[in-house]
Amino acid sequence: MLEPQHESALAHVGEASGTYISIREIPTRGMIDLRGQTADRKFMSLAKNVLGIDLPKLTRSSHSFGEVKALWLSPDQWLILCAYSKAATLQAELSNTLKNIHALAVDVSDMRSVIRLEGEGAGEVLMKGGSLDFTDGAIAPGYVRRMRFAEMAALVHIVEPNIIDLYVFRSYAQYAFDFLQKAARNGSQIGMK
Amino acid sequence: MTKPFRLAEGGNRIDRSKRIVFSFDGRDVTGFAGDTVASAVLASGQKLFGRSFKYHRPRGVVGLGSEEMNALIGVGADAQHEPNLRATQVEVFQGLVAVSQNRWPSLHYDIGATNSLLSRFLPAGFYYKTFKWPRAFWKHVYEPLIRRTAGLGKAATGPDPDSYEHMHVHVDVLVIGGGLAGLVAAEAAALAGAKVLLCDENAELGGIADLTAGMINGACVADWLMPLMARLTDMPSVQLLKRTTVVGHFHHNYVMAHERVADHDPALLAAGAPRQRVWKIRAKHVILATGALERPLAFANNDRPNIMLACAVRGLLTRYAVTPGMNGVVFTNNDDAYLTAFALKKAGVNVQVVDSRARLDGVLVKRAQAEGIVVSLSSVISAVEGTSSVSAVKIASYRKGQGRVISERKVLCDFIAMSGGWNPVLHIWAHNGGKIKFDEALQSFRPDTHRDAITAVGAANGTMSVKDTIAEAQTAGEAAAKAVLKKAKPVKSAKLEVKEPKRGALEALWFAPATGQANEGGKHFIDFQNDVTVADLELAQREGYESVEHTKRYTTFGMATDQGKTSNLNGLGILAEATGKTIPEIGTTTFRPPYTPYSFGAIAGALTKELFLPVRRTSVFEWHTDKGAVWEPVGQWRRAYTYPNPGEDKTQSIAREVLAVRNSVGLLDASTLGKIEIKGPDASVFLDRVYTNTMSTLKVGKCRYGLMLNELGFVMDDGVVARLGDDHFLMHTTSGGADRIAAWLEEWLQTEWTDYKVFITPVTEQWAQFALAGPKAREILAKLEPDFDLDTEAFPHMSFKLGKLGGFPVRVYRISFSGELSYEIATPAGLGLSLWKTLIDAGADSGIAPYGTEALHILRAEKGYIVVGDETDGTTTAEDVGLGGMVSKKKADFIGKRSLEQPELTRRGRKQLVGLLTEEPNDVLPDGAHAVAAVHDKPPMKTIGHITSSYLSPTLGRSIAMALIENGRARMGESISFSLEGGKVVKAQIVDHVFYDKDGGRIHA
Repeated sequence: MLEPQHESALAHVGEASGTYISIREIPTRGMIDLRGQTADRKFMSLAKNVLGIDLPKLTRSSHSFGEVKALWLSPDQWLILCAYSKAATLQAELSNTLKNIHALAVDVSDMRSVIRLEGEGAGEVLMKGGSLDFTDGAIAPGYVRRMRFAEMAALVHIVEPNIIDLYVFRSYAQYAFDFLQKAARNGSQIGMK
Repeated sequence: MTKPFRLAEGGNRIDRSKRIVFSFDGRDVTGFAGDTVASAVLASGQKLFGRSFKYHRPRGVVGLGSEEMNALIGVGADAQHEPNLRATQVEVFQGLVAVSQNRWPSLHYDIGATNSLLSRFLPAGFYYKTFKWPRAFWKHVYEPLIRRTAGLGKAATGPDPDSYEHMHVHVDVLVIGGGLAGLVAAEAAALAGAKVLLCDENAELGGIADLTAGMINGACVADWLMPLMARLTDMPSVQLLKRTTVVGHFHHNYVMAHERVADHDPALLAAGAPRQRVWKIRAKHVILATGALERPLAFANNDRPNIMLACAVRGLLTRYAVTPGMNGVVFTNNDDAYLTAFALKKAGVNVQVVDSRARLDGVLVKRAQAEGIVVSLSSVISAVEGTSSVSAVKIASYRKGQGRVISERKVLCDFIAMSGGWNPVLHIWAHNGGKIKFDEALQSFRPDTHRDAITAVGAANGTMSVKDTIAEAQTAGEAAAKAVLKKAKPVKSAKLEVKEPKRGALEALWFAPATGQANEGGKHFIDFQNDVTVADLELAQREGYESVEHTKRYTTFGMATDQGKTSNLNGLGILAEATGKTIPEIGTTTFRPPYTPYSFGAIAGALTKELFLPVRRTSVFEWHTDKGAVWEPVGQWRRAYTYPNPGEDKTQSIAREVLAVRNSVGLLDASTLGKIEIKGPDASVFLDRVYTNTMSTLKVGKCRYGLMLNELGFVMDDGVVARLGDDHFLMHTTSGGADRIAAWLEEWLQTEWTDYKVFITPVTEQWAQFALAGPKAREILAKLEPDFDLDTEAFPHMSFKLGKLGGFPVRVYRISFSGELSYEIATPAGLGLSLWKTLIDAGADSGIAPYGTEALHILRAEKGYIVVGDETDGTTTAEDVGLGGMVSKKKADFIGKRSLEQPELTRRGRKQLVGLLTEEPNDVLPDGAHAVAAVHDKPPMKTIGHITSSYLSPTLGRSIAMALIENGRARMGESISFSLEGGKVVKAQIVDHVFYDKDGGRIHA
């Protein structure tokens, strides 16, 4: 049988070099775009049944349970993260459970590339490309936000202190990587307090 | 030079143990680490730094720092050259290359200096006056002459090799200026709990504390600041930025600052630092501590080299142990300049003071007399002798308001330190509309009200005493923190004992009368950088330029890079005297950003070269690259235009690709097509409203081509819709329309049809999508182990299958944009490359050809399919392009419906889409060429329409074109003419715009 080979957008690139933080692609991640109304209690409870976690209601927040994470995108949109291999099943389960409810679950695991920034100054590097204030105490682990970064749409998720996942649409992955590699170039560190 | 311009001792900025050699105008100059180009070149004995803008008069250093308007230099070689830098701010380093500007052939022998002799013919507004003379003169005489002789530095000669970047920050309190006021305010704000950013334009913090008289708790002001600076450096909530000029203040306290990161140290640049960095600062509160600038005095030939501001002379002595000469005259109308006299005397330089005031009561004046410094009261300098330096002055007696010289005496000297008082630096205050008010005691403007949260402190606020400045800055810092924090900490201010000399009153002196009749003795410069004199301003007044803003434009006073730093008030004073008005009645001109010029490199930041604009890549990008694809930008996407084989040109490869699709099979990367999932109970009703045709009747599993109009009734986008389920659709849009259409749909849902239950989720990038097109497409697809039936009965044109090709999860749409049997196969993007290669391998035996966008366009044009943006231009209706049948007559409403009834859109004779066949089959009409009603020898000719698409059709072996022609469909068979460049006329016959397979048999095969 024909066996497909999966290739991430930055498969040919490897880890950034000559930078003051670590920058690398996370090649696969299951992602499901889930639409429904926060105000729709039935939707919220059925989604919880499938995911094992409440969908976050608080703006720019996220919940996680094991490998599954739910990222708030808007009052009627969440990005569900899981293992790449589980995404299709989880999407089917969501769609099935929500079939009588006004909701939409789409498997978008291949739509975005995930670039992980790790190290002291990860936030500073992102501040060279966008107006989000990563020195703000509110931007703590779990924080999620869509923003304009460099010349692209992007989504940031603070995973741990000094570990930030930057999500960009797949076609922009190379541009994002090039920008980050330049912004994080050794010698260009500012040392933001 | 025998004189010791560098004193044996002193200099708080220089490190005498580190000698630095750099080049100025090709000559090696030796200075010390910590020197500026200005201090080191002056120490070497050279006074001349450049030639003036208009008259090419010799000019030297005047100022202390960023206010320097004469000693503008270029730094760096070739592509790294940066012009118009102030020599007083450029720090020297080993190997620095600096040059003077606006001189030819050399600084010391300058041909343009004859402009000075011709100055009668270069009066105020000379540039505008030249417009009035014979027209031909402008282009052939004035413009070249002015361009060559007037000006500042030269631009760099190549692409800038250095890197730059931007940085975005948010702070509670931004303090602009790191002098006494700024530092005190920053600490107070930080102690109260605020996050503070302090920007200062100089290499060292402290402002002019080291040049300021007074003692705080027994220490001089600069020493008192040392522990304060150390505390600020250690505070985790305070960020200090040196060499960072705030260049602009904009709405809501958005502030732009320019940091010269590595200009002073090539080692930093080599280590990877950006040369410069632009800071985009969002501050909740701004404290403006920009200090004050000393005013020059307007006396005859006050622009000669070695005539400096009093503070600049004091700064050279204190900071760099450099003296401009050994015999100086301090010319002043205020007490502050006496500090310079004391510094000179202490350094062993002979000095006397010329003071325009009659009555003196300040302690500094008394101290001068006690120290034995000669002070000439009620006196002015009426003449300066010397051209490239100063050799003597004439001192004349003066009473306030006196217009001419009655008696004068000559005094030998080699430099002049002048002070006309101090102006608060209000540029940044004024950038975003801050109001200012005139202060009689200062004879200057000071801040009044501002709509933004901004507070001016210290000298910037007109507060000139040390004691008051500290109190004001502490209060402002704490208040700023309180204003922006939910809970500010109380700040306990330390007990301070401040001693400072009590100053006597300043007396305005806008014009010092000169030797000779009617002040013909020499020019009194007001704006040194733009060569504007007192006479120019007075002439503008006589010529009727009453508004100060008009005078500014007419004379160029206060314009350009200097933005009136030293000239503003003096000019207003002259205008006031010339009109008999007060300065507040005259008003002031507008200070504009940037405060000092900054480089284009910094403005561009990191977004240059490959980062200039994003290039969007599909999952097959690398494969296309390896196969030598020629690229076409489509929005930000790069799509393969064609894939020339070795030895083929583009025309040949395009023809080969077209024929492969017609005769065998081709493969197109169509991943860029917009894809939007639409789901909800109202999804089908919603789609009926956004398309002209009906989507609600589409059966699950089927596809339908849809046409979208904007509210004006014009075609906006098109694409195929697939119905995935009862309430679930997939919409395809044009590649360029993907984001725009998704936003458009959201807008209608969120603002107009809020009751509709519809979710839309853009999924463009989830899918790699390839068109497998050609008579052999089914045969190839069958090799990929589909888990669905490919038979045309089971899988007809305009239907789709969800399933698998071997291990590939796919959505296969049987749709065609080529006119051939065609499948568009979508698979998750991560599997795209793998599927592409699989298809290419499967088609190898059949001669499968990857085809690019140009073949795609030819194929669809042969078939008569429109492209939104080619056949339509934003004023084209569905009826115009022959798709009137797609506009539903039954539906109650859809976007654009109402507009279709406007008379202009129902008018007979509108341009309509037709096909064209040229008389000569090999003539390919240019895209956009206009058809004319009748051919004349030369334009104008009435046009009746234009070409929208034009190709050499490999399938038909001749040219084809589509065009929008007035009343075109009624003119079938008619011959029309195109009058092309070079007088060529091409005739073409109007035909149906479907050139190939009119009955569509091939699509349904």
